[in-house]
Amino acid sequence: MPPSSEVLARMAAGYLERQAWFRSAVASEGRAPVELVRSELLADGSPGLSRLLLRRGPRHFQLLLGWRGTDIGGVLRNEEGALLGAAANGDEEVVVYDALADDALCRVILEVATAGSETAERVRPVASLVSHASLVFDERLFMKLYRVLEAGSRPEVEVLFGLQAVGFDALLTPATRWRDGSFDLALVRRFLPSALEGRLLALTSLRDLLGHVTQSDDAGLAVASDPDAAAAAAGGDLAGEMSRLGETTARMHVALALAFGDEPLYSGELLARLAGADGSPSAAAAALVRDAPEDCGRSIRLHGDYHLRRVMRAESGWIIAGFADDPLYQASDVGASLPGRVGSPLEDLADMSFVLGRLAREALASRTAEESELGSRLALGWWRRNRQAFLRGYLANAEVRRLLPGDEAFRDAMLAAFEEVRERRYEATSAEG
Amino acid sequence: MTAEQTPPFTGSGTHGFSPTIVGETPVPGSALSADPRWYERAVFYELLPRGFFDLGADGIGDLSGITAKLDYLSWLGVDCIWLLPFYPSPLRDGGYDVADFFSVAPECGTIEDFALLVQSAHARGLRVICDLVINHTSDQHPWFLESRSSRDNPKADWFVWADDDQTLSDIRVIFVDSERSNWTYDPVRQQYYWHRFYHHQPDLNYDNPEVRDAVLEVVRFWLGLGVDGFRLDAAAYLFQSEEAGGENLPETHEFLKRLRAEMDRDYPGRVLLAEVNQWPADVAAYFGESDECHMAFHFPLMPRMFMAIRREQRFPITEILSTTPTIPEGCQWGIFLRNHDELTLEMVTDDERDYMYAEYARDPRMRKNLGIRRRLAPLIDNDRGVAELLHALLLSLPGAPVLYYGDEILMGDNVYLGDRDSVRTPMQWTPDRNGGFSRADFAQLVLPPLMDPVYGYESVNVEAQLRDPSSFLHWLQRMLAVRRQYPVFATGSLEVLPADNPSVLAYARTTSGPGRPHTVVCVANLSRFAQAAAVSLTRFEGSTPVELIGRSTFPVVSSADYPVTLGPHGFYWLEVGAG
Repeated sequence: MPPSSEVLARMAAGYLERQAWFRSAVASEGRAPVELVRSELLADGSPGLSRLLLRRGPRHFQLLLGWRGTDIGGVLRNEEGALLGAAANGDEEVVVYDALADDALCRVILEVATAGSETAERVRPVASLVSHASLVFDERLFMKLYRVLEAGSRPEVEVLFGLQAVGFDALLTPATRWRDGSFDLALVRRFLPSALEGRLLALTSLRDLLGHVTQSDDAGLAVASDPDAAAAAAGGDLAGEMSRLGETTARMHVALALAFGDEPLYSGELLARLAGADGSPSAAAAALVRDAPEDCGRSIRLHGDYHLRRVMRAESGWIIAGFADDPLYQASDVGASLPGRVGSPLEDLADMSFVLGRLAREALASRTAEESELGSRLALGWWRRNRQAFLRGYLANAEVRRLLPGDEAFRDAMLAAFEEVRERRYEATSAEG
Repeated sequence: MTAEQTPPFTGSGTHGFSPTIVGETPVPGSALSADPRWYERAVFYELLPRGFFDLGADGIGDLSGITAKLDYLSWLGVDCIWLLPFYPSPLRDGGYDVADFFSVAPECGTIEDFALLVQSAHARGLRVICDLVINHTSDQHPWFLESRSSRDNPKADWFVWADDDQTLSDIRVIFVDSERSNWTYDPVRQQYYWHRFYHHQPDLNYDNPEVRDAVLEVVRFWLGLGVDGFRLDAAAYLFQSEEAGGENLPETHEFLKRLRAEMDRDYPGRVLLAEVNQWPADVAAYFGESDECHMAFHFPLMPRMFMAIRREQRFPITEILSTTPTIPEGCQWGIFLRNHDELTLEMVTDDERDYMYAEYARDPRMRKNLGIRRRLAPLIDNDRGVAELLHALLLSLPGAPVLYYGDEILMGDNVYLGDRDSVRTPMQWTPDRNGGFSRADFAQLVLPPLMDPVYGYESVNVEAQLRDPSSFLHWLQRMLAVRRQYPVFATGSLEVLPADNPSVLAYARTTSGPGRPHTVVCVANLSRFAQAAAVSLTRFEGSTPVELIGRSTFPVVSSADYPVTLGPHGFYWLEVGAG
């Protein structure tokens, strides 16, 4: 007899209270008790495994609990933090713990989640946002196991399978979606072990660029006279990669429109999208909308949180690694979109452009004041060059132009306005911080 | 090596030696391995006979001069010499405009000199391959002179003639700097003739069976002299058709298969190395099913090594490796850093070409066709660390490395010379007159040796580097010796290993012959700054890596990613045993 659901639920309640992600999720929910919605026995024996669906107030949570005999030395990762307590497994006393700390049980979870179609020998956890756990199996499968659940389709799952259905392949290909009733429990995707976050490539480029300034007086002079040209001349140029990222981004937008449809973007909607942190648009944004042509482009399903951590450079080119998908996720520090948003594709471009600029500024932080003086000019040149390359690659896609305002001058102004909004939101957030 | 141990490389040692023609039977005293797949493990050394060593003292390098330097090449540790054309030629394209396929240019020597060179090389365990220029001839070749003389002579159809220049008009021009069309009008025959390269290099008409037979006769002639194979110049263009841009046509493959079959039947153990400047997936077709070319150059890898180092990111390399198909058993890529041509940028995107020009050829004089006509050392600003890293990659990536003469001492170039002569200046042997290349008067020399303060022969020469145990020459010689001890570099499989730092390239080379698998993990820092990375080596958990050059042991591999720190442009070759 495995530990009863009630026993496990009782232990789970105490365990949840110790988890930062849980406290964050229920911060505004008062002191309601944690309730067991249902449980499922996934493995009977030692180790054993149960999946618990819990609720506190309107929030739902998933917890996978394992148990073994009391001699568990060396079995668990983060043993102390993972333990829930002791329970009876028939006549045997067992230790109950968070199953994600047990490699053997993680492999069982993979088999269950994929209905037996996938097995693995190795598992390793990877750092992730708090509302889900991320596991890599045999360096070929990537599982996102949701802790904080949402009724209905999770935006990321929906977008991934939607893009896959229309043939968009620049993705970590979704393989399996594990569901329980209306809840998405986990998403399994093909993993590309050698792919790297775009942010790392950008930082490498900036490192090379800023190193270039400090290597010779000539380089410094060149920066002072023409930072854009100096940015182009330094070796670790990212422009080629950004151009290719632009091409991939355009393909993503075309695929999003194909998968989820598109409709005209009206000026009233545009005005709302240009609102800053205070809820109102700037005077310039208001003027832009006032004088907007009839054609403001199309409104499509957006990526919604498009920045350099969301894209990865794989051997074959850029892929979109993830989509905004965290119910605990507050509008990011770039002031970007919310999950599942619709709007002008230019908003995703503005997100990326903003992040490039911010990354350039961050890279200066480790430099001396003297270096920073030249470096800040160079960073600006770097941002302009890579933004330009990104847009060039993007606009090279003839199909994506259908989604943008036909008037190029207005299109550029609209993009600039979206960028400005992100800057304002960021400044407001920083000021609050 | 100390100065006392320096081998006697400069003596001629050939006078009075009676040459014999080398046939199919093994050469008495030959030190060649009996392995018919020797080329898979070989390191090639490409040299320009006219620019290597002038034993005849007429200002032009010769075959006897190469024979005199065989001990040097043997010491260096190469396995096979690739001779650039030494045939009679008007020399309007570095000898690739052949005027007689059956003899040696008088200034380079005689057939007997050639036979002696081959025999002497074999006696030292060195093999020799020659350039086989079979796509075209010189317009001074008797075949062409006869063909152009009328429309009904016996060789009238040995070249590709047409009444106008409109057919095959979609086929690209390769030498874009100098040719506007692949057709040139001949006022004698009053027709146009076809040429994929210079207008003075008419293409042979392979649709004519007499031409195919004649070319095979050329092949048999040199194989009969003992040559170990051929580098097939311009192999992709033998036939003409509107299809597929006129390149890589089925008829071409059919002819190469016939050539291979005849070689295998009558001259086993000889090699065909294809020059096909195309994407790897297209080039792989030239291996056939192990029944076409034994080897083919991997052109797109080369510019991407330079690109990766300048961008300090591994993706240019890993991307092209990921699109490189598995090749049939018994086949091998030829990989290189530089050669006698421009650093070709045909197989890159327009953006990448712009980048390469901006980084490596800011002076327009450095550009040629779609490429950069510079030698290795000036390309990398004479940076010893970069040179070592590039060679560490060259010697450890899949393929047989092909070194270019002079790069082992980091020779420079002269971009003020025309065409690709910039990278074909005489080998710099000593700090003496003419760099030890020739005892002729300076004015007689085939090309002026370098005399600038950085790369001139007084600074950069073999003799000086032999005396300096820390020289690049000695470093390379040691690396070649290490590589030879580990066949895994030659024939092992390749797996790019995940590393969390884009500036770090890591890959495993593994052989799975008898016994346990053997793996060498190569880790390279493409950045000029020190880097740390975590490399995924978990499948080697429990193994103790041993660095191959110093034989020092590294920390045991655990279940976590393996932390590695590397100095600027540093690299490791780590033996990790069973995987």
